[in-house]
Amino acid sequence: MRPEERRLFRLPQRLAFSILLVLSLSLLNPGCSLRRGGLIRVSGSTTLLPMVQEAANRFMAIYPGSTVLVQGGGSSVGIAQLNEGIMDIANSSRDLKEGENKGDLVDYKIALDVIAVIVHPDVRVENLTREQIKEIFTGEVVNWKDLGGADEPIMVVMRDRASGTREMFDKVVLGGEDPTGSAIECNSNGIMRETVASTKNSIGYISIGYVNSTVKAIKLEGAEPGAESAKKGIYPLSRFLHMFTKGEPSGRVADFIEYILSEDFQREVVSKEYIPVIEL
Amino acid sequence: MKNFFKSSGDSYIKALTLICASLSFLAIALIFYFIISESMEALTKVGITNILFSTKWNPDRNQYGILAFLCGTVMTTLGGLIIGAPLGIGTAIFLDQVAPRRMGEIVRRGVELLAGIPSVVIGWFGLTILVPAIARVTNSSGYGILAASVVLGVMVLPTITTLSVESLRSLPPELKEASASMGATRWQTIRRILIPAAREGLLVATILGMGRAIGETMAVQMVVGNANQLTFSLTQNTSTLTSRIVTDMGEAPPGIFRSSLFVMALVLLIFAMLLIITIRLVSRKKGD
Amino acid sequence: MHPKTADRIATVFFWTIGLITLSILLFIILEIFGRGLLTALKPSFFWGQPKTDAPGGGVRPMLFSSIYLACLTILISLPISLGAAIYMNEFARRGRFTNFIRFCLDSLATLPSIVFGIFGMTLFVIRLRWSYCLLAGACTLALLNLPIFLRSTEEALRQVPQTYREASMSLGSTRWATIRKVVLPTAMPGIITGAILPIGRIMGESAAVIYTTGLFVNFLPRSPLDPAAPLAGYIWYAQTEAWVPDYRQIVNGGAALLLIIVFLINYLARKLAKVYSEKKTLGGI
Repeated sequence: MRPEERRLFRLPQRLAFSILLVLSLSLLNPGCSLRRGGLIRVSGSTTLLPMVQEAANRFMAIYPGSTVLVQGGGSSVGIAQLNEGIMDIANSSRDLKEGENKGDLVDYKIALDVIAVIVHPDVRVENLTREQIKEIFTGEVVNWKDLGGADEPIMVVMRDRASGTREMFDKVVLGGEDPTGSAIECNSNGIMRETVASTKNSIGYISIGYVNSTVKAIKLEGAEPGAESAKKGIYPLSRFLHMFTKGEPSGRVADFIEYILSEDFQREVVSKEYIPVIEL
Repeated sequence: MKNFFKSSGDSYIKALTLICASLSFLAIALIFYFIISESMEALTKVGITNILFSTKWNPDRNQYGILAFLCGTVMTTLGGLIIGAPLGIGTAIFLDQVAPRRMGEIVRRGVELLAGIPSVVIGWFGLTILVPAIARVTNSSGYGILAASVVLGVMVLPTITTLSVESLRSLPPELKEASASMGATRWQTIRRILIPAAREGLLVATILGMGRAIGETMAVQMVVGNANQLTFSLTQNTSTLTSRIVTDMGEAPPGIFRSSLFVMALVLLIFAMLLIITIRLVSRKKGD
Repeated sequence: MHPKTADRIATVFFWTIGLITLSILLFIILEIFGRGLLTALKPSFFWGQPKTDAPGGGVRPMLFSSIYLACLTILISLPISLGAAIYMNEFARRGRFTNFIRFCLDSLATLPSIVFGIFGMTLFVIRLRWSYCLLAGACTLALLNLPIFLRSTEEALRQVPQTYREASMSLGSTRWATIRKVVLPTAMPGIITGAILPIGRIMGESAAVIYTTGLFVNFLPRSPLDPAAPLAGYIWYAQTEAWVPDYRQIVNGGAALLLIIVFLINYLARKLAKVYSEKKTLGGI
């Protein structure tokens, strides 16, 4: 009886131990990592991640054998990683900040992001001046009736402070004044559109490609948001989206950037959300 | 293998386990050191008072006041406890004392399930159910302290319930029997005997629930609105320390901005230590 | 008020509270499953590739990432915390130092997971130049779970009656033999539950992984140095960035899938601990 009991107890232990051993061996095998030759490492802005991932998918179909790893985490982290040399390309939704360029970063503008001011579809206002928008977003004007609308409170929706869109908007429209603290902050274009569409009396701003029938884009100083007005210079709310490399890129990295700037990709993918750079 | 262990005796094993223990200790020390050293830059360049006692948060203009987020954390935590603590302790008393066996078992299982729900899932629930509901009732955006409090209330509920049940179960059964034999009703026993006897345990449960509420990140970030204003209104948008760290970390360039996020982490670390000290004081009092 | 009346009111009150708690749970679970269960169980969802430009994306790499990450985390933290717990419970003398360590561990257990996240990001991802990868996430999560593992293992070891140890030692066994043959087997159910329960937590953890492991992948990660995107973090990212029109469906499906996994793991942990403890008591007689 004794030995049998012993075995009964020992067997699962041994089994568990061997399973653990096999598992650990198979898990800890850097040898077959995706990080091998022909690899392009891209990191940066979470806003640009889906679009660059799409570029990566298409690029890998064209150049079999190459691998593009696209990661998010934020523009700043991406640029820091680029400077450390652990990334080949950093996506950024903003310009370089002081101290980030140690002299060897190369800037590629991959798209123009035109920002449209949008309101809830029930808001009757069609056109605002830059001064009026500034008053709304600084909290000086809090009711739509002061702007020719109904007697309703204005619900201000903003992008989060970390976003490049917000940075540009604050600079161009607010000109250094503090935005109202009572605004709802949204983390992305998609969420901003949904929030404005579902919140009565709201006003916000999103990339032009995201505008659809659920929200109403309004004119700024009489100018429709779009490629035309941005090109003519009468629509001030626009900024470039960037890819940075450390030094002039070569090999596959150069191919990848070339592909992103190519007419095919710009027309088919970039134009869905932004203004393609080839149109400028 | 077997012989190796037998012949080499205890000292090897002791050394091996000691290495493990030192490793864990080293890891703890590393985290503490890292948080303090990373937050130094902001603390020295901006100044502690300018960080802790200012509500102006505008990294572009070198303003790094975190008071508004501190208040946000305190308000949402309090709100969460106001909702979660009575419900949690009440549920604990219900399933331990009042409910019939089967019902108690069902509720206990339910609370365990609730404890397992990931915070993104509760946050998503809050974002899609709670926020629109609050918006409809209060005619506001729906985001804000109220929504965050309800979400936190749900999240601290299982923590508080489980720990309260434990402290109720650890009471000697004679207490209850003695009270019952003297003709006290169940409510009298609960109110006069059990709750006072388990007071410290219930307090510890609430404090640990508080720790969970302070630290909850994703669910709060999804419903709190992420504005950076100081507010005491329940339906105004604001931020908590944790939600601010999540939103800003990826876009904060190295330097004072990133360092100021580590100051928030430092504040959270101090909170955590204070909570643990309080718990130790409470339990020691019980021991006397 | 008459004590009987008060008692009756109190009974009704506590029943109400118990039922409220139960209905909160039911509401959340039914709502999440009601919206996402159908999506979650579609093979094109849980076994499909995520999409960047069109609706109908799946979460296979994310599911795989979560499982991989959980295994790796356990692999890193379990041996260390088991060793540390044995040391602290069997060898170390109770004194100021162990008390101090316990204090630090408790503080660590109360520290928000996002703090671990930014710690892991600055240390592993940037300083150590690992970039976003499973290993960085696993190390971060191992730290996050260290106090919990240690606590539960210690608790399980402490449940073993002192007399067992004394009996074994008095029969001439060494310390190690006592631990191996008497203490560990007796404490096994507790250790197993303590090791599996955190897996549910690891799978559901998002704050600590979004800045260490990654947000989005469409490869299956193959080694610990590959980037990955655990499901919980992906759900959060999908609802913040909302880059596909059907992101709501993806989040609903992902949330339901995550719930199923977490519930399954918790159920398994309890079952396993129960089976083990029954076998032990049978074998012991």
